[in-house]
Amino acid sequence: MIDAPGLNAPPLAPDKAAAAFKAWMRRLVTDTAELAAFDAGEIDAVMDRETVSALMMPEAQTALHDSSRIVLSAFDALPGEVCVLDAKGIVVLTSRAWRVSGAAHARAGLDVRAGENIFDACTDAPENERVHATAVAAGLREILSGTQQSLRVRYACPSRRARRVFTLTMAATSAQGAVNVLLSREWHSEPKLLGKIDGGTAGKAPEIAACVGAENRLLAALPAKDYAQLASGLESMSLTHGETLCEPGEPVRHVYFPNDCLVSLLTVVESDRALEVGLVGREGMIGASLALGVTRSSVRALVQGTGTAMKMDAKRFLREFRRSQALQRVLLQFTDSLMVQISQTAACNRFHLVEARLARSLLMTAERMRSAEFRLTHEFLAAMLGVRRVGVTVAAVALQSRGFIRYSRGNITIVDRQGLETACCPCYRYLRVTNGETG
Amino acid sequence: MASKRKKKVAAKEAVTTVVVMRLYIAGRAPNSVKAIANLEAICRQHLKDSYKLEIVDVCEHPRRALDDGILVTPSLAKLSPTPGAHVIGNLSDTHSVLAALGVHLAPAT
Repeated sequence: MIDAPGLNAPPLAPDKAAAAFKAWMRRLVTDTAELAAFDAGEIDAVMDRETVSALMMPEAQTALHDSSRIVLSAFDALPGEVCVLDAKGIVVLTSRAWRVSGAAHARAGLDVRAGENIFDACTDAPENERVHATAVAAGLREILSGTQQSLRVRYACPSRRARRVFTLTMAATSAQGAVNVLLSREWHSEPKLLGKIDGGTAGKAPEIAACVGAENRLLAALPAKDYAQLASGLESMSLTHGETLCEPGEPVRHVYFPNDCLVSLLTVVESDRALEVGLVGREGMIGASLALGVTRSSVRALVQGTGTAMKMDAKRFLREFRRSQALQRVLLQFTDSLMVQISQTAACNRFHLVEARLARSLLMTAERMRSAEFRLTHEFLAAMLGVRRVGVTVAAVALQSRGFIRYSRGNITIVDRQGLETACCPCYRYLRVTNGETG
Repeated sequence: MASKRKKKVAAKEAVTTVVVMRLYIAGRAPNSVKAIANLEAICRQHLKDSYKLEIVDVCEHPRRALDDGILVTPSLAKLSPTPGAHVIGNLSDTHSVLAALGVHLAPAT
């Protein structure tokens, strides 16, 4: 039994009715060549002038019905857990694997079925899943509005008995002008982690769920046991463009693990002049100097791209750092790659042209924001590149005239990524290789 | 929207006549699918790059089909060079399609 409306409907017309319909259709045909093709069974449809429509021959209808049944059966038999939504979020089709897995997980985590609306399921999600359900609903709206083509959301369903985490991939498909969404669900098994979290802090479920959904690569690189130790001290928060996380010379009070925000590290030369020396996104953290025993910041950390991050108290972080060897290893690796980035940026600022440096900065920003569209004002770009605003304008106009980017009132869109890479200085490729970001 | 498949004429073969055709089909119905495959094979083998083909789905554009005088599908209309011609059916008879298109096969030696 396939979970799709109308799939198991009876054949369209019994033989007698089909024969009568065919005889009636034959009367519409008058031309000799057309009649010959009609009688030879080579005709699919006859036009009806009155209704201005194509009338399908009974054989063609049966064949189309059969072929759609084959396609639907093949969809049902797919090994992956997949589900198709219409433009309103109503489930049109689910694969057998989707339904079986939904039943096996006690229908946890947006296990919608044909005819149900996923937006309703997001609204009705349990309190401790609300953070993720809201993210899914927001992602679906972006895809249905055409803002995004595909998105991935990590979704956790806390439970005392079992760890239930999955990644939901949402992708736009279009058929006859209407946008549909293909959902694919992939479960992850991390039993120890959630058991520990749920057992200890039942009242903090939503925050914990957000930790579980963290996308920061440093956190993701930790073994489940070490992450579980850290997770209860992490707090999910939004960081907005222009926000300062720390100033040079000030004590580091909190560390931040960006999820999808972007933070610029600036060296302040004079009170009002600053130059960007590093860029940190989901691959790193702010406050890594603590790992080297330095408790005061040497740079200004300024939020460049709005998004979310995981925040932790510096003292707690230091305690966890001393305790976890895995965390020490991950942080030292990151510190090394950050030092490479800072030293390469210093050389780049001295030797390379503004246009090539701008291209590099835009590509690095896009990678860390995971978006080809972002906002960077002239002031910000001038600080990033250590040039005057007019220099930024000239470089941006040059890249725009070559068709690589679109730039309007601080909104930047990378139109031709490969072209922009050709305009970059070699530092971009070097940093990608040393940070393991290639491919 | 009607789908269009066009091939450019090679510049050096300026004297070659471009055959302009329009194929009317009914969605993914079996004879329509066959007609597209048969016509593409014929074009590939006998017309090389010197043809332009437009495919019109009558299920999506019934008014256009009626305005063009099309009553049954699949139906192939040769629009240029004149005289125009029609071939009805799934185009499995290569010879009648070539004759309608005005392509004359060289006699076998």
